[in-house]
Amino acid sequence: MKLDIGGNETIPTSVDALWVALNDPAVLTRCVPGCKNMTEIAPDNYKVDMQLRVAAVGGSFEGEIQLSDKRAPKSCTIRVSGAGTLGHGNGTARFDIEPDGEGTSRLVYKGTGEIGGLVAGVGQRILASVSKHLIGRFFIALRKEFESPLGGATG
Amino acid sequence: MREAEIPLKFVSSNRRVREDRRFVAGQGHYVADVALEGLLHVAVMPSQHPAARIVSIDASEALKMPGVHYVLTGEELAKAADPLMNGLDTPHVKRYPLAVGQVRYAGEWVVAVVAESRAQAEDGAEKVRIVYEPLPYVIDSEEALDPSSIPVHPEHGSNILLDRTFVWGDVDKHFADSPCHLSFRVTWGRNSTVPIETFGVAAKWDPWREILDVWASIQMPKYSDQIARALRIPLNNVRVHQDVDVGGSYGVKRGIKQTVIVSHLARRLGRPVRLIEDRLDNMRAGDAHGPDRIFDVEVAFDNDGIVRSMKMRALDNAGAYAGRAPFQLGKPIGAIVGPYKIQSVKYRAISVTSNKAAQEAVRGFGQAPTNYAIETAIDKVAAALGLDRIEIRKRNFIRSDEFPYLIPSGTRYDSGDYHTVVAKVMAHADYNGLKRERDELRAQGLCAGIGIAACLEPSGGNSSFEPLLNDANKTTTFMESCRINVDGLGFVTVTIHTTSSGQGHETLAATVVGEVLEIDPDQIRVVRPDTLNSLPSNSPVGSRMAIMLGGAAFHAAKKLKAKIVRLAAHQFGCAENDVIYRGGSTSHPGSNRKLTWAEHVNIAHRNFHLLPEGMEPGLEATHVLQVPTANKLPENGRVQMYPCHSFEFHLVLVAFDPEIGKPKIRRYVIGHDCGTVINPHIVKGMTLGGIAHGIGASLLEEFVYDSEGQMLTQSFMDYLLPSSHEVPQVEIVHHCTPSPFTVFGQKGSGESGYLGSPAAISGAINDAVAPYGISFAKLPIRIAAISDAIAAAKTLKEKAPS
Repeated sequence: MKLDIGGNETIPTSVDALWVALNDPAVLTRCVPGCKNMTEIAPDNYKVDMQLRVAAVGGSFEGEIQLSDKRAPKSCTIRVSGAGTLGHGNGTARFDIEPDGEGTSRLVYKGTGEIGGLVAGVGQRILASVSKHLIGRFFIALRKEFESPLGGATG
Repeated sequence: MREAEIPLKFVSSNRRVREDRRFVAGQGHYVADVALEGLLHVAVMPSQHPAARIVSIDASEALKMPGVHYVLTGEELAKAADPLMNGLDTPHVKRYPLAVGQVRYAGEWVVAVVAESRAQAEDGAEKVRIVYEPLPYVIDSEEALDPSSIPVHPEHGSNILLDRTFVWGDVDKHFADSPCHLSFRVTWGRNSTVPIETFGVAAKWDPWREILDVWASIQMPKYSDQIARALRIPLNNVRVHQDVDVGGSYGVKRGIKQTVIVSHLARRLGRPVRLIEDRLDNMRAGDAHGPDRIFDVEVAFDNDGIVRSMKMRALDNAGAYAGRAPFQLGKPIGAIVGPYKIQSVKYRAISVTSNKAAQEAVRGFGQAPTNYAIETAIDKVAAALGLDRIEIRKRNFIRSDEFPYLIPSGTRYDSGDYHTVVAKVMAHADYNGLKRERDELRAQGLCAGIGIAACLEPSGGNSSFEPLLNDANKTTTFMESCRINVDGLGFVTVTIHTTSSGQGHETLAATVVGEVLEIDPDQIRVVRPDTLNSLPSNSPVGSRMAIMLGGAAFHAAKKLKAKIVRLAAHQFGCAENDVIYRGGSTSHPGSNRKLTWAEHVNIAHRNFHLLPEGMEPGLEATHVLQVPTANKLPENGRVQMYPCHSFEFHLVLVAFDPEIGKPKIRRYVIGHDCGTVINPHIVKGMTLGGIAHGIGASLLEEFVYDSEGQMLTQSFMDYLLPSSHEVPQVEIVHHCTPSPFTVFGQKGSGESGYLGSPAAISGAINDAVAPYGISFAKLPIRIAAISDAIAAAKTLKEKAPS
């Protein structure tokens, strides 16, 4: 099934700091819901291991993330693809970061995805809201990265 | 011996179903209750793609997981086992228990992981890395039928498994001579019987005795034959334990691929292995899906509503493999005209493969969809002529004095009295009062409609559809057996030779044997030996066991009684004809001598010197019963299908709010005639359950696939089952027209209710929405479809220029 995502979020940090954070596998591992591990396999290419639960099913998901069309520190295209017990999926999204007042940035994102397999069958009715929820969790975690000066959001 | 004219004492009487006690008390013994030392557990890894080439399978990480013993791939299994049996002669449609080289539907099993526990096996399965290369796929039936579609099995050359046209009678002439014609399309959605217990199987291989023990939740004809053939071992090396309770089936407990997997693993690993499907395994790939069918129907009739001829094209979506699915187009040939005197029929049966889960047998074996199409035709003829829907059925019914009645496709209906059943139901329900009630509900602003269905339940299942649709198949028997042994202390043990999936066969066999021998059925033990100790038998399918097991038990008991009478005549020194048998004792009025049950037993078991010459010691009798009326191969596309034909007449009142569209069944009356009833509780249970099942098929249940080949209704969140909210109080009106072809006049009732309720409920919904000028031509008719269609009709009306 097809999935559209899009929105914008305010993050309490500078454009440059946000750009650095979004390119740091350690930060992403902490912020991406269910992400167990993220390793760089080539420049701007990462391998991720995730553990997720949607509706009645849960399972592991192994995927790749590629960053392209990077225009530091403003915008970048992110491509995700992967498969696992939950199903398979791929998607592309474009991020734009712009300043939004003193020490604050606005992150605008828009993308599309396609999801198949078990998760599409079992969770199709709630998949749109689940994806919104997961994105929401990502941004909550990302904001915490900057709210806590010691980077203590890992706990 | 004199045949005393005594009324039936146990048959038809209000007696408890003996199995119910253990089920109600939670003391059934199911496959998951079979304790085996050293048992290993299996979890399967399904395909996520509707069609894909398997590029590679990497099990190395899975094998490092705690408790994991083994990962079985399709490649390995295909070397050790032959493809599963096809019903049709389609050798290039190969079906392996685990996919080999290519997957053909989302959910198809690719690898089986074996571990110390199911949880460890599931964790291991998550670590198996399978790389796929997606391939094009086809989901829609009409697309699959198109010669340009991508074949699911390229070696087979097309997606067509079966395309046969039968013409019975002078269809062209009847169409040309009839003043009125109409045609329509209806679609039956893919659904199932959804047993509470999913499929499960455990197998153990003993290399020293060379024997494979199998415990399974099974309802599959020739199950052990198929295991032996697939594994290429002698059939007498396979021992299936038939005393395992089955927690629901109605056709779907086929389980052969599961059994081949665990049997191979048990031999390979030297430990017992079991596979119990979870609900997702079952819904996606566990032999759960039933017919998936588009009907194009054309009927020719006169101005009085007499239907002369019918053309029917049935296009069925078999899913990814052949199995027995195409035969579900064949069985309805035995009742292709329903209860009506339609003189000629043209029937085109098409079965296509697609990238959906493989279809298996479901209750009625294709008859419920066919009945839905026939009954829709009759409703449409009534509407076209402005006639009452019951009146038109009465005009077309076969009359009770016309039986046995030969239908155009070669089956002789045994007996029936359709007019009387309808009259009883109309009187019971007050048909005119019901119509008034409907009109009052409409006046209140509700949608209200009456649904009617008059349907047949062919019963006493044989396999005549096999030679009819497959010229290479020459099968003309589908026997069932029974053995009775009276032990040295005079106690009676009856053996039956199949599993049961809740049909009450122990009660059936005990009742029949008790009736013939005139002894209390509660004193009779009924057991199920394993397959190596069994007489030739098939399976409790095709609504056959009252007829077949009841018949076999009857004849075995008659043989036993004849032996007792001969033994007694020898003691009395009189002719066998002069012995009176009553309640297990014998007497000879001429000499005033008597023998008790215990004395017969004692002589048979201990006094060989008192036995007549040539009589074997002991008291034992067996009977292997051929299906009544089944005696030859098909000729010119005509065959005697099942021997008996039960009748059911449904009358339903449905009402709902036009904005919400949620149907409420306000009244449900069924007239039911299955000949002589052996146990009234069993027949009642079947009928009520069948109606609930039909409510699911007509309003709720469907395995829906999206355009990407993914099944959207895999769990009970999306695949909706009728609950106590949807199932109404049902009023049953009984009638009994005995069958001349069975021992007590009994007919089948295992599919009763289900064979007509979808047609009746569909008719009621369509009557309810008729004032809006709309109708529904696809089952299930879901709540959303009703409210959307009414809203659209209202909008259209508002926009229309007045």
